[in-house]
Amino acid sequence: MPAIVELNNVVKEYPLGKLVVTALHDVSIAITKGEFTAIAGPSGSGKTTILNMIGCMDVPTTGTVKIDGTLTNNLDDHALTTLRLNRIGFIFQSFNLVNVLDVRQNVEFPLLLQGKLSSKDRKLRVEEMVEKVGLTKQMTQRPNELSGGQRQRVAIARALVTNPAIVLADEPTANLDSTTGHAIIELMRDLNANDHTTFIFSTHDPKVMERATRLIMVADGKVV
Amino acid sequence: MGMLILIAYRNLVQARRRTLLLSAAIGLVTTLLVLLLSLSQGISDNLVKSATTLSAGHVVVAGFFKPSPSQAIPMVTDAGKVRAVIEKETPNLDYIIARGRGWGKIVGPGGTVQTGLSGVTLVNEPRFVATLQLAEQLEYKEGGEARILGDSTRIGSPGSVILFANQAKRLEVDVGDAVTFITETNDGRTNTIDLTVVAVARDLGMLSSWSVLVNMESLRKVYKLSDDTTGAFWVYVKDIDKADEVMNGLRVSLAQAGFQLMDHDPNPFFFKFETVAGEDWTGQKLDVTIWRDEVSFLVKILDAFDLVTVFISAVLLIIIAIGISNTMFNTVRERTREIGTMRAIGIQRGSVLLLFLLEASLLGLFATTVGAVAGAALSVGIDLAAFPVPIPALKAILLSDTVHMTVRLSTLLMSVVFLTVCTGLAALWPSFRAARMRPIVALGYVS
Ligand SMILES: Nc1ncnc2c1ncn2[C@@H]1O[C@H](COP(=O)(O)OP(=O)(O)O)[C@@H](O)[C@H]1O
Ligand SMILES: [Mg+2]
Repeated sequence: MPAIVELNNVVKEYPLGKLVVTALHDVSIAITKGEFTAIAGPSGSGKTTILNMIGCMDVPTTGTVKIDGTLTNNLDDHALTTLRLNRIGFIFQSFNLVNVLDVRQNVEFPLLLQGKLSSKDRKLRVEEMVEKVGLTKQMTQRPNELSGGQRQRVAIARALVTNPAIVLADEPTANLDSTTGHAIIELMRDLNANDHTTFIFSTHDPKVMERATRLIMVADGKVV
Repeated sequence: MGMLILIAYRNLVQARRRTLLLSAAIGLVTTLLVLLLSLSQGISDNLVKSATTLSAGHVVVAGFFKPSPSQAIPMVTDAGKVRAVIEKETPNLDYIIARGRGWGKIVGPGGTVQTGLSGVTLVNEPRFVATLQLAEQLEYKEGGEARILGDSTRIGSPGSVILFANQAKRLEVDVGDAVTFITETNDGRTNTIDLTVVAVARDLGMLSSWSVLVNMESLRKVYKLSDDTTGAFWVYVKDIDKADEVMNGLRVSLAQAGFQLMDHDPNPFFFKFETVAGEDWTGQKLDVTIWRDEVSFLVKILDAFDLVTVFISAVLLIIIAIGISNTMFNTVRERTREIGTMRAIGIQRGSVLLLFLLEASLLGLFATTVGAVAGAALSVGIDLAAFPVPIPALKAILLSDTVHMTVRLSTLLMSVVFLTVCTGLAALWPSFRAARMRPIVALGYVS
């Protein structure tokens, strides 16, 4: 099966004043469709930087990144944004919902940006997703009325509503207690198992790593 | 787009205190602008009213007769023929008034006033004479009664004059008293005539200092004018906004009818004596103007007022714009992570720009609408209250004894649209800043 994510000899450098910090040294990773991949490593090891490369949020200094067959290196901001909208779902450590929108509107947001579905189909799709994450009763509540775990469920629904090729989650359980965090990982695992959505998430929690079908360990900007 | 409006709106509601504070500032500026514009419009209305009552018709057909190259008399010879052309060639003609013109001094026990003379023929304009508002005695005489003494229709009898309150006050005369008019006649000699005050009219702004109404026969006598002459035809049309068109049309028609015409000079006739007297021609030339030309010196005052309005508004606008811009920078800073999140999810830069511009414009629209309604209500209130103007100089500028304000829907709409656009523009820079942010920076992954 061809890889859905391909990082080849990726080097990422950040300018830091007059110095240059090398966040990634020659990283090569290939991930196939349907995998439930954990990127693990200590703080500062380069997990976020790798996810940013895969998520088309940034491009490498040297080396190539290929997402679902598309090389990102030479894409401009507009093209990268379009790629993110259509191919990638994001789940954040601190949930990052739009505060002034309710659950339904938060989940609907990416669909509106895509503008592909009619309002009726959008409604059905949003309801289906919200049900999958178990928040049908909270449909019209705003994020500040929800618990952390519920908020992350909304974020998951929002990430998956467009049927993306890849869902990225940067330490999705770091802001949750261990029980809730575990439930979130289980939910992601279920969605992965049922819909074959590719999940890539970073963590430094060994219990979370256990649930992965594939584990990529990084340290000091290198895959080990 | 609908979602962006919703987000913008809800964020405004969320930041209620900030929104209200900024709205109050923008609203106040709108109110002030509407007040100033309504006052300006009120002055303009006063100007039109007093100008077209005391100094001109909507269009004026007048002219100069030069018996010798160095003499200029403000009159129209062959008046019957000129009137016929006007009657035939003026579209939507309402009515025509023929007024005699003179210029000189009036002497009374209290002093002298320099003034223009308007020769009135009662039978030709009963409507004007009837609607002329007369002053109560106490308005021009200290210790006078709250009673109107004169009768304006007596202007029909020879030797009669109607003064305005300010003149009666300066000359220290009352109804029934005699004054002397002194002028230079057509042949260059000084001539005088005694006139009896038959009524004292209420002042109509600044113009009433320079105008008295006198019986036409008496005017003819002083200036030794023949019957087929007049000073000027005041032409009134149905729509004053068409005055320019009518003026241009009449210039063509009169020229075609064989009359000599002066070039259009947008000034009152009494500014033109010297120029005309210095020109090397004799005989009759007609001068066609519109009301605005005859009060050009007052139009300049109004323009100055408008300039002040523009200046005040501009200064306030700049202050407000800085406030809006500053607030929007704060908003953008506070919502940096939200911007990053939305960018990650797939919103384009242009939409982020739009989001913040919408937010500012929505605020602007709300604030300016409230401000404009308040301004309109205040203006109407002030107008109805008819506050007397205490200072004479201010009376001159306002062209009225009471504060008159005219609210126009177009003024309100213009103010709302203009200030809303300004609010949007003030938010442009912070909105661009928001749109240009890189998503990884906005999300705080990278500094
Ligand atoms: N904008 C930046 N400027 C300088 N150094 C950076 C920047 N972003 C990340 N780094 C460095 O890159 C390395 C990897 O960071 P990161 O990918 O955030 O690690 P992790 O997510 O595993 O904690 C760290 O050493 C970090 O200090
Ligand atoms: Mg990290």
